[in-house]
Amino acid sequence: MGSGVLQVLKGLDLDIAQGEMVAIMGSSGSGKSTLLNVIGLLDGFDEGSYHLGGDDMDGLSEKQAARYRSQYLGFVFQSFNLIAFKDALENVSLPLFYQGVPRKDRQKRSSEMLGRMGMEDRKHHLPNELSGGQKQRVAIARALIAHPHVVLADEPTGALDSTTSNEVMEVLREVNADGITVVIVTHENDIAAQCDRIIRLHDGRIIEESALSSEGKKAVDV
Amino acid sequence: MFDRELWLEIAHTVTGNPLRTALTGLSVGLGVFILVVMQGLGFGLQNGVKSTFGDQASNAIWVDTDRTSLPYRGQAVNTSIWATNQDFSRLNEEVTMAPESSIKLWFWGTLIKVGSKEGNYQLYGVSPDYVSLNGIPMVGGRFLSEADCDGFEKVCVVGGGVVKQLFGEGMVVGRYIEVRGVSFRVIGRFDSPSGRWANNAVYIPAPTAQRLFHGAVDAGRMDWVDQMVFSTGDLATDEATVMANDVDHDLRTRLGVHPDDQRGLSVRDNNEDAAMFERIFLGIRIFIWGIGGLTLFAGAIGVANIMGIVVKERTVEFGVRKALGATPGSIIKLIVVEAVALTLVSGSCGLIAGVALLEYGAPMMQHEFFSDPSVNLKVTLVAFAVLVFAGALSGFFPALRAVRIRPVEALRSE
Repeated sequence: MGSGVLQVLKGLDLDIAQGEMVAIMGSSGSGKSTLLNVIGLLDGFDEGSYHLGGDDMDGLSEKQAARYRSQYLGFVFQSFNLIAFKDALENVSLPLFYQGVPRKDRQKRSSEMLGRMGMEDRKHHLPNELSGGQKQRVAIARALIAHPHVVLADEPTGALDSTTSNEVMEVLREVNADGITVVIVTHENDIAAQCDRIIRLHDGRIIEESALSSEGKKAVDV
Repeated sequence: MFDRELWLEIAHTVTGNPLRTALTGLSVGLGVFILVVMQGLGFGLQNGVKSTFGDQASNAIWVDTDRTSLPYRGQAVNTSIWATNQDFSRLNEEVTMAPESSIKLWFWGTLIKVGSKEGNYQLYGVSPDYVSLNGIPMVGGRFLSEADCDGFEKVCVVGGGVVKQLFGEGMVVGRYIEVRGVSFRVIGRFDSPSGRWANNAVYIPAPTAQRLFHGAVDAGRMDWVDQMVFSTGDLATDEATVMANDVDHDLRTRLGVHPDDQRGLSVRDNNEDAAMFERIFLGIRIFIWGIGGLTLFAGAIGVANIMGIVVKERTVEFGVRKALGATPGSIIKLIVVEAVALTLVSGSCGLIAGVALLEYGAPMMQHEFFSDPSVNLKVTLVAFAVLVFAGALSGFFPALRAVRIRPVEALRSE
């Protein structure tokens, strides 16, 4: 894979099973975010192949990619990427808008999802009225609202303190417990240690894959 | 089809960014407002200039004689020049072949009585065609007829001012007035919007006036006329000019008036005046549309600029939307409909404000050369539609640029 003369990912061969919780680690420039973007169809690839749920993702038009993102994928970003002029409820309901879900349904489901995240009383707050942890909970609610098969989280705790990071990881583990695949890009060992598998990248190549047993996973106090 | 969800989304976006919305709206609204007001002022100017014509037909040649200002063929300066019924007939039959024509005699400050009431009014002796040639607005009875002229009838048509002062209100047709001691039966009434001067007048048949008021003074003056008017019918302006020149040449030759003497004989071609005014109006219209068009163009550029900035500002947002499942079409639709909605709403505000200003400000702007400023709504709506289309285009191109950015690049642009 690569773009122009700069080849970012090289010789990658990676399978992620449904229901897995995978951490992708690596130093800056190792290609971990690029890999996540390719998985999330936010970026393209020039060589090789990528299958999502058995479908070949090669040569998708932007419209087709949008449909896959809408039906299969949920995103959680380090900087939350909430839309500033929409309140928590409207931010969460946005993926449903693009699925054509009627407004009343959207609001009901979004409200329930925010309740699950413990954000019921903050649903009419704008992003700038929320703390970092609350913003990330809203972002996770938005990622989950359309019942994705895979949640892709790019440094989801990167902008949070350790207590809030643990809260967010707890939520992601609950999501994963519901059978949703979670792929987390992180450079924090503590975060990666809470996943089923850790994939380490260096210079665009996988240099290490390690599966963690349930006993090996780090217990987290919330 | 109306897409409620889309409009709610747009309503949310525009109300979520009030300053941006206000700035975009201001540039468009101001453009439409200026166009409407300019157009109204242009129409006002045009109406004002047109009103100086009165109701006179614009396709007519008016011939007046007076005292000479230049000596010519033995006639000294200040010699009175008179055209006659024979001149009128000859010009009618051999020069103009006019579909309508009239002679006119006038008697300034004529004493007219009704019972014990009396007053001095303008008395005119005219032919039946004068009613259309001078645009006399009849409101009751009829105007003079050929039979009235042929029979030297003592009948008259009176203006509203005369009626009000001598009769009070009520029916006047069939009643009598006394003109210079001669009784005339009223057969019609007119009311001219041109004002008091035009309505303080009485029309009688020209032959009657000649016999009673010229012939009584001097039998030799019996067939003198003060003015002649010939309709040019459907002739083009240059053909009417030829006709006017022929009339001028014929009369100067017969009456012995110097070719450069405009006081002794004047032949006024309304067609030329109308054409000149039409050229002036065309110039005014081009000027107005030039300014208005440039203003609208500036408005459209303003929208394009702001939409460009808006799209750039919202690049990350569009990246997020794409990540959440937005298709390129939905992003384009969102931006274009937002631009159109902004243009439509703010343009409507400008349109309403402009029309309201003309409607309520017009009474305060009346002047001799300025009256009744109004807008051509159809033309304004077309201009408005063009602006909305420009608004759509100004949203479309930045939107196209936005959707061509890959989601990952859009998200990184922060």
